[in-house]
Amino acid sequence: MKKKLLAVTLVAAMTASLAACGSADSTGGDTGAQNSGDGVSITIFNSKIEVQAQFEEMAKEYSETTGVNVEVYYSNDTVAAHLATKYSSNDPYTLSMVDAKDVYSLAEDHAIDLSSEKWVENTNYALSVNGKVVGFPVCVEARGLIYNADAIEAITGETFNPDDYVTLDAFQGLLEKLVAGGMETPTGIMKEDWSLAGHFLSEVYETQDDVDGFITSLHEGSADLANNPRWNARMDYFDTMMKYNYAAASAIAAEREVSEQKLAEGEIAFMFGGNWDWSMINAYDYSEHMGIMPVPENTSDGTNKKLVGGGSKYFFIDSSDNTSEEQRQAAKDFLNWLVFDEAGNSFLTEKCALVPAYSNIGAAGLDPLSVSVKSYADAGNLIDNYNYLPDDHFSLCGAAFQKYLAGQTDRAGLAAAVEDYWSSTTPVEH
Amino acid sequence: MNTNEQAARNKKINHAIKIIILIALFVCFVFPFILVVINVFKTKADITSDPLALVGAHGFTMANFPEAMKKMNFGRSFLNSAFITICSTVLTILFASMTAFVIVRNNWKACGALLGMMIASMVIPFQVLMIPMVSLYGGVLGILNHRATLIFMHVGFSLSMATFMFHGSIKTNVPVALEEAATIDGCTRWQTYWMIVFPLLKSTIATVAIIDAMGFWNDYLLPSLVLAKKELYTIPIATQVFYGTYSTDIGLVMAALLLAMLPILILYVLLQRYIVEGVTSGAVK
Amino acid sequence: MKTNTMSYKCKQFLMFAGVTTFMFTAVVIVPFLYGIYLTLTSWDGVSKDKPFVGLANYVATFADGAYWQAMGRTFLYSIIAVVLVNVVAFILAFLVTSGVKGQNFFRAGFFIPNLIGGIVLGYIWKFVFNRAFVALGTALSIGPLSTSWLATTGGAMLCLIIVSVWQYAGYMMLIYVAGFMSVSDDVLEAARIDGCTNTQSIVYVSVPLMVSSFVQCLFLTVTRCFMVYDVNLSLTNGEPFNSSVMAAMHVYNQAFTYKNFGVGQAEALILFVVCAVVGVLQVYVGKKAEVSA
Repeated sequence: MKKKLLAVTLVAAMTASLAACGSADSTGGDTGAQNSGDGVSITIFNSKIEVQAQFEEMAKEYSETTGVNVEVYYSNDTVAAHLATKYSSNDPYTLSMVDAKDVYSLAEDHAIDLSSEKWVENTNYALSVNGKVVGFPVCVEARGLIYNADAIEAITGETFNPDDYVTLDAFQGLLEKLVAGGMETPTGIMKEDWSLAGHFLSEVYETQDDVDGFITSLHEGSADLANNPRWNARMDYFDTMMKYNYAAASAIAAEREVSEQKLAEGEIAFMFGGNWDWSMINAYDYSEHMGIMPVPENTSDGTNKKLVGGGSKYFFIDSSDNTSEEQRQAAKDFLNWLVFDEAGNSFLTEKCALVPAYSNIGAAGLDPLSVSVKSYADAGNLIDNYNYLPDDHFSLCGAAFQKYLAGQTDRAGLAAAVEDYWSSTTPVEH
Repeated sequence: MNTNEQAARNKKINHAIKIIILIALFVCFVFPFILVVINVFKTKADITSDPLALVGAHGFTMANFPEAMKKMNFGRSFLNSAFITICSTVLTILFASMTAFVIVRNNWKACGALLGMMIASMVIPFQVLMIPMVSLYGGVLGILNHRATLIFMHVGFSLSMATFMFHGSIKTNVPVALEEAATIDGCTRWQTYWMIVFPLLKSTIATVAIIDAMGFWNDYLLPSLVLAKKELYTIPIATQVFYGTYSTDIGLVMAALLLAMLPILILYVLLQRYIVEGVTSGAVK
Repeated sequence: MKTNTMSYKCKQFLMFAGVTTFMFTAVVIVPFLYGIYLTLTSWDGVSKDKPFVGLANYVATFADGAYWQAMGRTFLYSIIAVVLVNVVAFILAFLVTSGVKGQNFFRAGFFIPNLIGGIVLGYIWKFVFNRAFVALGTALSIGPLSTSWLATTGGAMLCLIIVSVWQYAGYMMLIYVAGFMSVSDDVLEAARIDGCTNTQSIVYVSVPLMVSSFVQCLFLTVTRCFMVYDVNLSLTNGEPFNSSVMAAMHVYNQAFTYKNFGVGQAEALILFVVCAVVGVLQVYVGKKAEVSA
């Protein structure tokens, strides 16, 4: 009997210690919620790492002024994997910021209809699924060739005007001048698969006259990449960039940080990227005279006068029972605050330096790259993003593209690899 | 005489060669740490442009530490990590050693089955369990976001390896005769275990303690699934904003690494003798 | 008290192993079984319905060339890494038990890499390979060092192996140290009198007596290498051109990046079976050697 008693005591002690752990954190959690006032609490998932600090600061101020407790989270897992675990555990975010392709896969089951919101009329970039607006565009982003005008002008001695270099011939001439002037390797190339395939290769599709038709022909195997003028124009440009690449000796080892630093400090003058690159550039001794220009091409179809881009990152509001009506309303209010409140506007444009996706928001205090993007966007010179690439496109075509960058395959080989990829993948319905 | 002298000289040369090899290998092993220590006192720009320079062009800076501490909410994360690590480690040791004892001393079917399943479970890739686990504990039971849940899971996962280690050590280091003597003196099995067996397992306890504590302290994936609230974050989750697909703030990563390593390093230095003895004696079957 | 009744056995078992059995079942077994069920669905990981598709995911697994390539690569990596880890660990153990000055200091130093978690470790080494080595190679104009090893397919694999050796050798060393110390001095003395040289006595006396250390180290290194993920992710992330994607990483990408959750889960399950078979086989062979030695 004695041993039984001992056993019971021990088990009880352990249960108590476990329970103590439990109660310790539940009280911790509760006080956290109570301190924030009696208002509702909403959670925001942010997938734009570069503005995480700004979001957290904003959340604090927003909580103080409105009484709505806002918590901002970030995960360095992929967005899809992270949200999968959140939905599996019935613990979704009230507001999630995701990429367009995630909106398409998540919205039907998890997002509420935002069609009747006021901000819908102020933007051209809202995302709709099955005829309902579900995605709130956070900003406008565009891709193109980033240049460092200070570095160029220091060598040429002339004012750099990107409009003078829309053709590849002119661009090549400039590169030669830079080399002659002492900048031996004026370009950089990001070797990451999301840049090569997700951003650069996708522009070959996006700049086609009939994008959907072209993708269909890729699926059907009837597209002839090797003889496609858009493909060849882009690849001619890419070959030029490769020729003058500072990391030509081991192009696929170039680290993004190093390339961005060289560009920021003027050791190189050109690199393909987007306005989000500013968040990397501004960590270094950057020059203010930077911008984004269209990819130079020997073409007359006008694509060499436009950037490719559009809405980027979308908020959707959770539709599940885990989120209450009050929380949903608070989330809607937050989105309205971003668009219609002065404090919300200044948060987007001045604090986060994002190009606004809303016609009513003025843009002061943008960074140099965003200024470029906004000027192209305002002039209607943006070619739309294509948001329906399969999930494995960037990875598999990226691998093929890296081989090309490493000199292990030629243009025909890369074209064949891309065609192979498309003919063996199932189309994304939309 | 001559041969003796020669033998002595040979021995000395031998010794010197060994020392040289050891030092060379040692340098290889600590080289990354030396780099971390050099670079943590530089600005991001200097780390990128010249990783080997002792002092960067922008001079010596301590800025990485306060920034990392602020961004990862160091005090809070540290306490969370410490609490979870200590509780999980203690519970793992208690439960695993008791289980190993009953398995070693009894030839019952249930014992064999349990041990077999535990050993097999040591090779389950975590990816298999990840989503089912959050579906069950979050979706069905709704008990995620508690430190106790994480401790429960930590213990559940580490029991296999720990039981396996205690199993080997009880088998070899604890003479059955001692237990028999205790039984004759009127001890129950329960008393025998706590008074005779458990104290004999010191070195294995040290082993399991350091291995599991290190594992819990450094674990990222499991805590990131279980603890989705800021105030519950452990150090590894709190530092995730420093690196990712698109950028790595290597200065902050290094500062965070040093800050996170420090407590374990201190513990390690204090326990060094026990740990080295512990790991080694636990390994002998 | 009778000790062979069912109720006695049950009480004893529950008293000592009850909590363990419960926790182990709750945390490992139940999710594992549910995981097996999920391999029979075509769930994408986020949608609400999980359509039942039978064995289709297993068919897809067998047709997934990239998976089997990754598996083959994992085999290759594991074989090389396991051999190197154990050779280095064995040499280290020999050196730190041979009575040199400061051997405790060295033992501690070689163990230090075990104090860092996998993801951070990969980032630090990436920094070493991509920046530090290259800076060093450029400064001293050492050809092979002046470009990053991570940029070539063979190099990336080599880097993974180097990091694995660095990470595990210290830990395995400690197990071998125990093995060396368990060989009694009398036996070695006898061998010396019989005219064995140092090398001979290691090969013919110590090694056969250390079989259990080998079995243990091999089991640990084999299973860890087979399931390598953290370092794979942070060191190479599969690059260049997906040539360093190991099995576990492919599984993760399949399930989450490409959103074929069921297929990824099925592939992970097959990885588990392969791991288990290799692990068991290796322990079985080892035990046989132990008996015959």
